[in-house]
Amino acid sequence: MAADPIHQFQITKLFTLGHIGGQEIAFTNSSAYMFLSVAVISLLMIGGSASRQLVPGRIQSMAELSYEFVANTIRSTAGSEGMKFFPLIFSLFMFIMVSNLIGIIPYTFTISSHLIVTAALALLVFFTVLLYGLYKNGLKFFKIFVPSGVPIYILPLVVFIEIISFFLRPVSHSVRLFANMLAGHIALKVFASFIAMLGAFGVLGWVGAVLPLGLTMALTALELLVAFLQAYVFAILTCIYLNDALHPGH
Amino acid sequence: MAVGLRLSSELVAGVLGGAALGWGFDRLLSTSPWGLIVFLLLGFTAGVINVMRAAGVMAKQSERL
Repeated sequence: MAADPIHQFQITKLFTLGHIGGQEIAFTNSSAYMFLSVAVISLLMIGGSASRQLVPGRIQSMAELSYEFVANTIRSTAGSEGMKFFPLIFSLFMFIMVSNLIGIIPYTFTISSHLIVTAALALLVFFTVLLYGLYKNGLKFFKIFVPSGVPIYILPLVVFIEIISFFLRPVSHSVRLFANMLAGHIALKVFASFIAMLGAFGVLGWVGAVLPLGLTMALTALELLVAFLQAYVFAILTCIYLNDALHPGH
Repeated sequence: MAVGLRLSSELVAGVLGGAALGWGFDRLLSTSPWGLIVFLLLGFTAGVINVMRAAGVMAKQSERL
């Protein structure tokens, strides 16, 4: 049934790649859309940097704009030292944004509507920050869990809560992107199915269906904003977490 | 809107993470339901702390280095 709002998130197997430990490794529609996103980004960046004109053309200025945007974000939140993580943040931002934008097109699949994908990205950031923080600060890095001026008898509890709150970062980082994309696409589907349901009541129903149609259009515009905004939020939080590891003590 | 979503998701992640930790603790050590109760409350606390950090009310962890 087309009105099932969850159906759009179904993962289907396209073909099997092989078996690892009795577990089937399949090439799914999700993987296909990941490849599509990477292809679109590569086309944009390679096509944008191919002509190298002083006065940029359409594609070149898009590529330059995205570079400048991410570079400015990093410089303003993590300082110029953060630029050594530019490749990571730029890849994350472009991958999430392009896959979200592809997901808005009807009949396509949204990669970031699956928690496992966003969790993998968030864990990548988490371990980058953790390993870089340990490498830069040594064992002093663990002092972030110990607040000063706390009485000794509640210190173990406070340290435990601090550790939990540190390990909750990748959870909130991934759940935010996943929940936004999932909820937005379900809302869009539900409102769109109201049009067909009202239409079943005849002429009066079609007149009434103008309301959900308008709402669907408004929601599509909102989803465009959310697609960009969530990629931006993901990138800026990555910068903030990296800033903690880069510049401790302020 | 972005700020509101960020703050709410910090709190939700706190409670969810705490519940998941407590559930796993109970599964491993069969102490049900105490692990869930304790970790849910600890997770809620950690979530509130994360919200306060995100809102800039409280000092960040990295400031202790």
